[in-house]
Amino acid sequence: MLNFKISSDEIDKIGNFTKEEKNFRLKNLEYFNDTGFPNKKNEDWKFSDLNAIVSKNFNKLDIQFGKSKKQKVDFIKDFEHNYIVIINGELTISDFRYEEKDKITLKSFINDNYSNRKENNPLINLNHALSDKGYFLEVKENYKFKKILVIYYLFTNDLDENILNTRNKIKIRKNSELHLLEYVVNDSKKIFFNNVHEDIVLENSAILKNIYLQNSKSSGYFHKYSINKLFTESNYTSFIFPAGLKFNKLDLEFNLEGERSECNLQSASFINNNEHQEIKTRVNHFSPNCRSHQNVKNVLNDESKGVYQGKIFVKDVAQKTDAYQLSKAILLSEKCEFDSKPELEIYADDVKCSHGSTSGNLDKDSIYYLMTRGLSQQESTKLLIDAFLNEVADSIKSNSIRNFIKTKLETQLQDGY
Amino acid sequence: MLEIKNLNASINDKKILKGLNISIKPGELHAIMGPNGSGKSTLANVLSGKEGYKISGELKYQGESLDEISIDERAQKGIFLAFQYPTEIPGVNTSNFLRTSLNKVRKAQGKKELDALSFLKIMKEKSNELGMDEKMLSRQLNVGFSGGEKKKNEILQMKILDPNLVILDETDSGLDIDALKIVADGVNSSRNKEKSFLVITHYQRLLNFIKPDFVHVLADGKIVKSGTKELAMELEKTGYKGIN
Amino acid sequence: MKNQNTNYNQEYKYGFTTDIENIKAPKGLSEKTIKFISEIKKEPKWMLDWRLKAFNRLKVSKEPDWQKPKFPKIDYQALYYYSAPKSMKDKPKSLDEVDPKLIETYNKLGIPLNEQKKLSGVAVDAVFDSVSVATTFKDELTKKGIIFCPISEAIQKHPDLVKKYLGSVIPISDHYFATLNSAVFTDGSFVYIPPNTRCPMELSTYFRINASETGQFERTLIIADKGSYVSYLEGCTAPMRDENQLHAANVELIALDDAEIKYSTVQNWYPGDKNGVGGIYNFVTKRGACRGKNSKISWTQVETGSAITWKYPSCILQGDNSIGEFYSIAITNNHQKADTGTKMIHLGKNTKSKIISKGISAGKADNTYRGLVDIGRNASNSRNYTQCDSLLMGNKCGAHTVPYIKNKNSSSTVEHEATTSKINEDQLFYCNQRGLNQEEAVSLIVNGFCKEVLQQLPMEFAVEAQKLVGISLEGSVG
Repeated sequence: MLNFKISSDEIDKIGNFTKEEKNFRLKNLEYFNDTGFPNKKNEDWKFSDLNAIVSKNFNKLDIQFGKSKKQKVDFIKDFEHNYIVIINGELTISDFRYEEKDKITLKSFINDNYSNRKENNPLINLNHALSDKGYFLEVKENYKFKKILVIYYLFTNDLDENILNTRNKIKIRKNSELHLLEYVVNDSKKIFFNNVHEDIVLENSAILKNIYLQNSKSSGYFHKYSINKLFTESNYTSFIFPAGLKFNKLDLEFNLEGERSECNLQSASFINNNEHQEIKTRVNHFSPNCRSHQNVKNVLNDESKGVYQGKIFVKDVAQKTDAYQLSKAILLSEKCEFDSKPELEIYADDVKCSHGSTSGNLDKDSIYYLMTRGLSQQESTKLLIDAFLNEVADSIKSNSIRNFIKTKLETQLQDGY
Repeated sequence: MLEIKNLNASINDKKILKGLNISIKPGELHAIMGPNGSGKSTLANVLSGKEGYKISGELKYQGESLDEISIDERAQKGIFLAFQYPTEIPGVNTSNFLRTSLNKVRKAQGKKELDALSFLKIMKEKSNELGMDEKMLSRQLNVGFSGGEKKKNEILQMKILDPNLVILDETDSGLDIDALKIVADGVNSSRNKEKSFLVITHYQRLLNFIKPDFVHVLADGKIVKSGTKELAMELEKTGYKGIN
Repeated sequence: MKNQNTNYNQEYKYGFTTDIENIKAPKGLSEKTIKFISEIKKEPKWMLDWRLKAFNRLKVSKEPDWQKPKFPKIDYQALYYYSAPKSMKDKPKSLDEVDPKLIETYNKLGIPLNEQKKLSGVAVDAVFDSVSVATTFKDELTKKGIIFCPISEAIQKHPDLVKKYLGSVIPISDHYFATLNSAVFTDGSFVYIPPNTRCPMELSTYFRINASETGQFERTLIIADKGSYVSYLEGCTAPMRDENQLHAANVELIALDDAEIKYSTVQNWYPGDKNGVGGIYNFVTKRGACRGKNSKISWTQVETGSAITWKYPSCILQGDNSIGEFYSIAITNNHQKADTGTKMIHLGKNTKSKIISKGISAGKADNTYRGLVDIGRNASNSRNYTQCDSLLMGNKCGAHTVPYIKNKNSSSTVEHEATTSKINEDQLFYCNQRGLNQEEAVSLIVNGFCKEVLQQLPMEFAVEAQKLVGISLEGSVG
């Protein structure tokens, strides 16, 4: 059994901090040590007892991980793009060859927000206490990226029972636009824990399109907490394509702060083996006339487990809110499991809020129809899974990027089913 | 082509077909008429190999028993069922699906698979014959299609797959007169010496356009009367109650 | 054009008090109180032991705190756990011996108990504070072998049945309020339907809280033996008081092979006044076990009263092919709070469940649907369908939906849908244009919104419930 208590010496090993920052880190470490990794008693972790999962699978968790070796990057050749390379959470090289350089700021991240809040999620406190890597990206006012920016997140093969605490921040200033592909490539065959804190701000009329794609399955345990602030008329679209990890929880919070802001979340995943895939969202409608749309699709095979916990919160002033949430899961094997908790908390009356959640097998009539046209049971099933997941990828506008994503998804499905 | 002897079928312990006999030779077109609940759709389902039925009796296609032959193998052997209610399958592109289906059937019959280009040619040709908008074929399979479009899509698939035995399950239901004519033309132009048809319908109307060689009346799971197309006319006058 | 009808704001019409002399248990919760209750009910020792076991468990358990409605801490030592009219001490042998004041109370509530006037087709067990006052149609039911009597009588006369089933669905240790009830429950109904018997009439219990500073802790146990059917309904009211009164009931249903139980509730406890003063805390544990194959339990509830309603009538679908249903209307107005829903636990094969929940929130009220659908590993070919709709009137109230959905079986299907919206203005306008005033229009539209649930109620109560839906929302639309 692993002892989760972390000594305050670990903070000193990270570096020398101002008194204020040191206190902030110490306080958060104390919060984490009080609770440890979250367990089932925490409502947000009801379907996934991380404490049990970590104790079962890890013998130790090394906090300090020295400088990462330089890594050869296998760049995507399917389309032209700018790039940033992050190795084990650390910002290394970047290339903005298609853009005006003075419109972009990119640097290693330095936290300057020392709010002393006790988080309901102990992993956030842990990140506050120990984060030592990350990047800050800013797109200045009135600038639209000409090409997509790919952020390569590489994990090296020398990771072994480490925990990485990284912290990233993206700020898109007024009237600016960024298209992003977050591309995760994992070379480690061993287990490790990746704990990310992400902070995204969209100023008035800013647009962000984000695609998160895992290159392949891995033995990582990933947790990301992402807080997204959307100001007036800003628009955030996020596509998430996880390929399967030992544990993957994305805890996403969207605050629609300004009127007519809009957020759109789409996810599709096929997982198998004993993988765990979880998305938790909280969409806060704080202003009138905002729109939020979520569509989360999971296909589960073998002993995998999928979880969706989505909450829509509508404040009393947020009239004319249009909020929608849909989660659909297909269970293919006897030992897989899908749990969901689609939640609405609404205090304004002139709103359109709804959610749907379904889980079950593929439609038998569809399989029958396809078989009368000569396809075998296996082929029919595969075609239907493909169709089910592709619906999400199909709403990506750029042809080259959509095809790239679809090919990746197709490969994952080929390997897994 | 098709030989059915003493066919019994039940679902959830409810007997639906009770000793049905029918024999169809190559080139013949048989119509089966019957009131609601007489077992018409069950017959179509059983012939296609749909699961969930308990079956006894003899079912022979081209001289071979159909027992133990799965739905897709039957399709590959040339049995085609045009559905009464074609299933909507979101996310599946109609023309891609048609090509997959055709190549499955061709492969099973030892023919070469078609590449995208030559398939497109065939599809264009056949859909033009049916007066179908090509745009429809780039949409999702049957999703958002009107009743008439769905039925035309079934006939298009029939033409493309070029089967030996065609079963039309109430293909006329829900069609206006123009769509009915197009569907009937589609069937008539496919008739030849080798192909057999089994047309299942509630109304005589369709038989004004598709002339059957034989007409059978199905009631309570059995063929109660057989004849030629005059029988259909008679039925129109007397109704199903007048038979027997 | 505002409505011309000024006489719409009816007071809570069951708010009167019956002035009657009571016998009470000593104030507060203690072993002494429990022994007092057990003694006055002339209970056998095993029953007292059972209560004390629950009391010991209570000492180490904590009140739950996860629910949405928060309430001030209840002082369990300031309550009376038993209160009964003095005249009921020596059990009246027939209705003629019952204190006329009690009969009059029930007459005023619209539940006549005497032979000539009693409701046709409905057998009633009338519970007043902590005792059952009278049970109608007893003889006719006895002829069929049906037992319908106060549970305190069942403990004495049918100990084997009570011992076998009491606490078998809601164990003593279930949660704080269920444990509390197990220790101090006073009266309630007991129903046993023998094999292959269809109960010829509706069985009904009418609960009335009268005394002040008194909690009501009723316990109901219904057993439907193989192949039997029963429809049971309960109604409840209480006087208007400034204090909050606690009502913590336990209801257990058991359906054996091929049996069906239909349980309907029209809950109209005093909701408190416009400013949220007073009203009943309605903390109820209701659970049914479909133990036998092909069994069915159907819950229907119309929840319009109480300051706080907190209940989840649930079904444990153990038997293969068993069916669970939950139909609910919860209306909250002014400062009322409701946190209600159901749990459908699918254990057997081919089990089916259906949940239809309609929440309506007005004034400054909060209305939460909370539910669990759990498809176990072995529950093959099971199905659940859930539809939760919420209606909001004004932007000072809240509507919340908190479903938990777990599916561990790939051959089973779970479907959940929920919507939240406000009352449709086009519909209101249409009704107004046809001459209905605002209140009437709202009542009509809301009744339409609730129709699927109202249809489930037995005829005798459906009309009453429809009126109640209208009355509960009065003053909510300006």
